[in-house]
Amino acid sequence: MATQPILQIHQLQKKFGRFQALKDITFSVNAGEVFGFIGPNGAGKSTTIRVLLGLIRATGGSATIFGQDVWQDSVTIHQRLAYVPGDVYLWPNLTGGEIIDLLLKMNGTAHSDKTDALIKQFGLDPTKKARTYSKGNRQKVALIAAFSQDADFYIFDEPTSGLDPLNERVFQEAVLDLKQRGKAVLLSSHILSEVERMCDRIGIIREGQIIETGSLAEMRHLTRTMVTVTLGDDFDVTTLPGVHGVTAGHQAHEWQFAVEDSQLATIMATLAQHQVMALQSTPPTLEDLFMHYYTGKE
Amino acid sequence: MSRYGRTGQLIRLAFRRDRFRILMWIVILAALMASVAWKFQDIYGTQSEIAAIKGTLASPGIMAMFGAFTFKGKVTTAEIFANEMLLFMGLIQVVMNLALSIHATRGEEDLGITELVRAHAVGTAAPLAAAAWELVIVNGLLGILYGVGLTAANMPGATLEGNWLIGLGLATTGLLFGFLGLLMSQIADHSASATGLAYTLFGISYLARMITDVQHPKLTWWSPLGWVEKLAPYNDANWLPVWLSLGTALILFGLAVMANNRRDLGAGALTTRPGKRHASALLRGPLSLLWRRQRNVIIAWILAVIIFGVAYGTVFNTIGDILKTNPTMQQVFGAAMVHEANHKVLLSFTSLLAVVMAAVATIPGIQLILKAHTDETRGWLEAVYARPVSRTRLFFSYVGPAFLTSTLAYIGGLGGIVIMGDASLDHVKDGISAHEFWQGIAGQLPEIWVFLGIAVLLVGCWPRIKTFTWLYLALGFVSVYMGSLLKLPSWVKNVTPAGWMPRIPQHAVDWTTFSWMIGLAIVLVIVGWLGYRRRDLQMR
Repeated sequence: MATQPILQIHQLQKKFGRFQALKDITFSVNAGEVFGFIGPNGAGKSTTIRVLLGLIRATGGSATIFGQDVWQDSVTIHQRLAYVPGDVYLWPNLTGGEIIDLLLKMNGTAHSDKTDALIKQFGLDPTKKARTYSKGNRQKVALIAAFSQDADFYIFDEPTSGLDPLNERVFQEAVLDLKQRGKAVLLSSHILSEVERMCDRIGIIREGQIIETGSLAEMRHLTRTMVTVTLGDDFDVTTLPGVHGVTAGHQAHEWQFAVEDSQLATIMATLAQHQVMALQSTPPTLEDLFMHYYTGKE
Repeated sequence: MSRYGRTGQLIRLAFRRDRFRILMWIVILAALMASVAWKFQDIYGTQSEIAAIKGTLASPGIMAMFGAFTFKGKVTTAEIFANEMLLFMGLIQVVMNLALSIHATRGEEDLGITELVRAHAVGTAAPLAAAAWELVIVNGLLGILYGVGLTAANMPGATLEGNWLIGLGLATTGLLFGFLGLLMSQIADHSASATGLAYTLFGISYLARMITDVQHPKLTWWSPLGWVEKLAPYNDANWLPVWLSLGTALILFGLAVMANNRRDLGAGALTTRPGKRHASALLRGPLSLLWRRQRNVIIAWILAVIIFGVAYGTVFNTIGDILKTNPTMQQVFGAAMVHEANHKVLLSFTSLLAVVMAAVATIPGIQLILKAHTDETRGWLEAVYARPVSRTRLFFSYVGPAFLTSTLAYIGGLGGIVIMGDASLDHVKDGISAHEFWQGIAGQLPEIWVFLGIAVLLVGCWPRIKTFTWLYLALGFVSVYMGSLLKLPSWVKNVTPAGWMPRIPQHAVDWTTFSWMIGLAIVLVIVGWLGYRRRDLQMR
């Protein structure tokens, strides 16, 4: 992993009038890394991305891409950056093909074989006017233009919300290809399985603040493992230390509960003395983490 | 569920959605009509004042602008009022109706709102019917306000019948063009194209009435826009135009319903064709993007203004021939004097036309500048901003073409008037000389540029109030166009740049005023540009 971060954000703030949209955003993205940016609607994901693009001006903190200030040097930065917005709006009287070519030319690149391959992979009809495209097709136009570009930093803001599962897979493969070629990717998404599969590190934003960053493995330590166990005797699992949310299962002596990771070893040792007949443990999914952080509860 | 199911609910929704625009239009139009009527006795109260203006109104030049009216017997204040105001108010009301009708139908459909509405238990023709009722109610309300306002103003010579004839005559004319807008919304497949079609037909009826008014006023019956002139409310009240407008409006609505039943949602009779697989080599940046998107509109505007000018030019031989109205003049004053007088009449006519042309030519420029902000809020520029394209470059990709379009349109329009006008004359020397033409250009361009500069300033610094530009332009146009007929005080004219220059080419260009107006336009653009570089961009 490269040592020089591509994107560095430090205590970024943004106020719209009296409303503090971003309170404290701090994270970085390195080369060869896919960074997942997750959070509920209205938490400030798109606002953060718009600050990074120089569309709006931060009211505090700093943000740099390639070591350059995102507001002052936006034009220079954008030469090596590709972006796909969440809601893609295209000029209605141009065709998809024309828009792709135009967007590429504005970056000093041109329509290449790769572009044609991507058009084919995503299954886009480039001769249709943008007015007639569905949401998914508009996203394909933006994705094809972004992937055809040879950038060093890619920003995707909920890029697959309108895509079908086949195209979602095409997208995921293209992102993994970027990662292998050492590019940095910032992926904001609501599709948690996608984030789980692709992202090396994750940042969770809530009410304008980054509340957690780290790899999924690191984050799992912060929550509990779900355990389903069937015992051979009448042992009452509620007496165990560090056990939460105990419910009785469908059969006799079957229990379901959550265990704090720090207590896992002790509990397993205790359970082993009570004739374990079946045991399943599931590590928390990203969805569990998501719920844990957003609702502030279990 | 019938085809018109839940139209009532949609009508309420329409009024809730458009309440501000409707309120603004009604207040401005009713206030304009009532306040002018109120003041009119002071302007044209005495017989000598009436006699003076009567001669002016009978001249072909003024007829081309305000319509041909006939006077019988003793002319009253109210008759002069009807003559000056009817066509003018009719034009504004048509603009209002086209804007409201297309916004309420094709505009909603473009935004995908109609799809959402139609997914509920509403009739297939209900959105269209609701839009029609909205127009009926707005025009009806305006007609009533006109009738009440005129009755309250109580001008000498006004009759109760005449007051209500004006109200209902304007209401039905408005309705006719509003329903034309509804029909065009069904035929075209997006609102820009519907607006273009509707304005083309509006322009044709305007030009038809202008040419027939000057040459054969009887033929004006062939233009729906000419019907307002035939109301003759205070000398020979004629209700036929009201019934004609109403009948035509109903036919147009029937056609719109038929078209609506036959088409798919989101489609029109004129469908979008597939386009190019690749961008042309010329399409490579924000400037060429704007051209690619707006070239049809830009070319259409410039051509329309030129055609407008040429059409006005065709009446030069009628207007610039004093002998037609004063056959004895040549015997009294001699040929040289007559030619001199002809030239004076044409100069004065051209000066008034220059004001009209400048206002019309400013419209596409303002549209292009305001587009910079509309495109921004629609999210169409997000993809461009994310590229290595500076804000300065993007901003001037709109501002540059805007200034160029307005400038070319104005030069083309005035050129059309002068070239066609001079060609139509028997004595070319009576016409406008090349020097006078260039004076006319230099006289109005600073005004156009200051208006565009204000649009640039607002889009750059305070985009939320960008609509103010339209009001300001309208005020400028009305104050100069109607100013002398309504005898407005001079400060009203000086509120907008339209009044800062003397009438040109009737008078010579004041180069001091010219210089500081250009300077002001440049300052406005620079401040707007600095604001645009600093402010947050707005997104959906």
